[in-house]
Amino acid sequence: MSWSAGREQVLECCVHVPEQTNWPGWLPRMAFAPRGKASRGDVLLVVFLRGAADMLNVVVPHGEEAYYQMRPTLAIPRPDDLRAKTTERVIDLDGFFGLHPSMSSLLPAWRAGHLGIVHACGAPDESRSHFRAMELMERGVTDERGPASGWVGRHLASLDTGNASPLRAIGLGEQAPRSLRGRVPVTALKSIADFHLRGDLQATSRMQTILSSLYRDDEALAGVAIETLNVLHTLKKLDPASYVPSGGARYPETDFGMGLKQVAMLIKSGVGLEVAAIDLGGWDTHFSQGGSQGLMSGLMNDLATGLAGLHADLGLAMEAVSIVVMSEFGRRAYENASLGTDHGHGGALLLLSGQVRGGKVHGNWPGMAEGQLFGPGDLAVTTDYRDVLSELCRKRLNNPAVNQVFPDFAPKETNVFKSS
Amino acid sequence: MSLSRRDFLRLSGWVAGSAAVTACAPAYGRLAQIGAAKQIRSAANETIFRKLGRLTYGPLPNERQEAADHGLAAWIEAQLAPESLDDARAEIRLRPYDALALEADVLADWEQDTVVDQLRRATLLRRLYSHRQLYERMVEFWTDHFNIYVSKGDCWFLKVVDDREVVRAHALGNFRDLLLASAHSPAMLVYLDNQANEKEAPNENYSREVMELHTLGVGSGYTQTDVMQLARCLTGWGVKGHFWRGQFTFDADQHAGGVKKVLGQVVPPGGEAEAEQVLARLALHPATAQHLAAELVERFIVDHPLTAVPDLVAAAAEAFLKSGGEIKSMLQVILLDGLARSDFDLPPKFKRPSDFVSSALRLLQVASDGGPAVQSHLSAMGQGLFDWPTPDGPPDVEEAWASNLLPRWSFAIELAQDELEGSRANLPGLIESEAASSPSDILTALSLLLVGRAPGPGIANTLADGLRQSGADTPEEVTAIMAAGLLASPAFQWR
Repeated sequence: MSWSAGREQVLECCVHVPEQTNWPGWLPRMAFAPRGKASRGDVLLVVFLRGAADMLNVVVPHGEEAYYQMRPTLAIPRPDDLRAKTTERVIDLDGFFGLHPSMSSLLPAWRAGHLGIVHACGAPDESRSHFRAMELMERGVTDERGPASGWVGRHLASLDTGNASPLRAIGLGEQAPRSLRGRVPVTALKSIADFHLRGDLQATSRMQTILSSLYRDDEALAGVAIETLNVLHTLKKLDPASYVPSGGARYPETDFGMGLKQVAMLIKSGVGLEVAAIDLGGWDTHFSQGGSQGLMSGLMNDLATGLAGLHADLGLAMEAVSIVVMSEFGRRAYENASLGTDHGHGGALLLLSGQVRGGKVHGNWPGMAEGQLFGPGDLAVTTDYRDVLSELCRKRLNNPAVNQVFPDFAPKETNVFKSS
Repeated sequence: MSLSRRDFLRLSGWVAGSAAVTACAPAYGRLAQIGAAKQIRSAANETIFRKLGRLTYGPLPNERQEAADHGLAAWIEAQLAPESLDDARAEIRLRPYDALALEADVLADWEQDTVVDQLRRATLLRRLYSHRQLYERMVEFWTDHFNIYVSKGDCWFLKVVDDREVVRAHALGNFRDLLLASAHSPAMLVYLDNQANEKEAPNENYSREVMELHTLGVGSGYTQTDVMQLARCLTGWGVKGHFWRGQFTFDADQHAGGVKKVLGQVVPPGGEAEAEQVLARLALHPATAQHLAAELVERFIVDHPLTAVPDLVAAAAEAFLKSGGEIKSMLQVILLDGLARSDFDLPPKFKRPSDFVSSALRLLQVASDGGPAVQSHLSAMGQGLFDWPTPDGPPDVEEAWASNLLPRWSFAIELAQDELEGSRANLPGLIESEAASSPSDILTALSLLLVGRAPGPGIANTLADGLRQSGADTPEEVTAIMAAGLLASPAFQWR
């Protein structure tokens, strides 16, 4: 499959409003809720790193002397540290921050200005509990009070994009992550193949013929049914095994890589995907976390090669795609006695998009010296993650009702995204 | 008509897993009624089917017959006194689910998954097998109205107590009692954060929702000041911990002192009694009557009732106020003065996922365990039980659900092919009881069962084509294709 569509085509794909006429007189057609109407913005992909990723070793503050003092074993050698092999050193980004060597596949995106980083970013919650912090972050709330729905779910509910696709919002996995929960139906898919009718090929094609005939003239449901049958028809032709990514892109042969590949396939096939969420787990590295190599280096490799594959595969379409990589909190600045790191506070957001002010590490660096750390020795949070996500909703997702996405939160301008 | 016991088992289609049920006298005593299923063709009255569809989770042939014989009004009257209806059939099925009867402090030590699974199963099983259909419909109504999400905090076990002692205890009782029980319910206080409502740090969440969703309704005239003042009355209302985990408590130390003023009336200092006094007033406020009446009419009659049938809403609200908040009084107006009248023209309502799944299982007389397989279908359709995160509860208007058809189609196919785990559909037995042998007889019998009328030429031709293409020739294959087509059809998406 070749892919050369520009932004217009991406935006137009599958925004199909079913024609519904001849309503029975008794049935009033009223707006369901006071939702804003707008054309849809970017496709949003949320990547959640479960287990609290040690962002200090992903985006390394190599200009920070304290970092090396606190992590005698785990620190990633400076870019100019001649004692270490080149492949084990930090890849410098701006003279102060650099990427872990296992993140090197994201360098093309960085150079293209498509990778932006917000460091010392996170949530105000200080529980250092995975369960609680993940829940609060996915709900987008400060503490347990406030709405139980997810922030992405509220975004979908507060913006009517006229998109009737059953794949408007998907969660890759057994069930959709909590961030997607809300009033708008979300489809959970382990793979594209899950979106199908049961039975063998013959039985399903017979059933689709029956359904198409049964619904064709239904005044209320024809539009939705035909849309769903079209999506089924489109997806039947998509085979992840034989799919050839564009731009020479390669995805890692992992669950994460396969998930991202299918996100790319859905975006390209124009089935109305607006929001996707995918998890990457295993980041709770209390023990033998590793430095330039080792446990966490493998996770970073999966993350970076997966995202780099998606970035290359989507090509021009990245102009209308926004990817957010987040984790529930960061890890302790000091390494522990088991050569790992314990639960900390501040982390970082990675943003991959044609519309991010990329090639730049944003945020206010709080420093890591005595007196600059937070609590038991954690990186401080200087940017609330909701400041960034609010701006994303407003500028990239065309949602003016950010106060419905993050109620009772007054976002500050971070200027991380370009305006649409 | 005389039937052997074996015939009865086959006829009623409840064979698998229901030996214990059929062994009990009350169920067996209904033999004659269920046998009447055979005559459903002649008795088929589409209007009664559609009206019963609002009152039940799918009207069974015997229920249709009863309503036809004695009149719909009499049927409703009987349903409004659920305690007089034998319910052994449902109770036997609920016996394994021992969490339902336990107190919060005991449940707190259980596995979360077990407790939630039992609550979900019990809820579905009651909808399928209870004779107290209208009562179960009202239980669902109040469960939605006082929505609680089991994945928030301790709600996973507190909701079991709330279900039993708030919703089920007052579903057809007095609304004031129901509201006060809900306000004292630890599940509600946790879900809407009132346990964090303290004098130095007031939390308005519950106070706001109780006015906006539970009583007066949005835009009915209360102000932000009213919300803040009621929140102050509610300071100190919370939930105990430790040995008393899950019990309601009023903590006088956390209660904000001083005089409050809500909706123009002064609330003198009185501790716990302050909020109780305000809630009692809210319960019987005219705006509450209007709000509840509109919600009930929406559930039983039509979407957007304030535009569609404003007079019925007004009459129900008036009856509510006149009776001092009796839920039955409101229902009598809506159902007896409205729905049951022969000249009442009932517009269709789109089935919510729970209606769709329940009616498919009930009308096809499936023996279901209500377990994870069927529950996960409900989740895929967007209405997992006790799984609605926002306090407004799952809506009941077409536009909220009509965009998600694929999971319904998948369920239809799985059920018709008898491949739904934990649920046994005996379609051939069901059809045999209708004495249907040719494909067209089978389609007619299924259509009368599922949508209450004979199939139109459109669906008949479509399914006949599908049948020809499939080369199906055994009655089992024919029945499965017909049933899948009917369950997945537009007609079955409405009630």
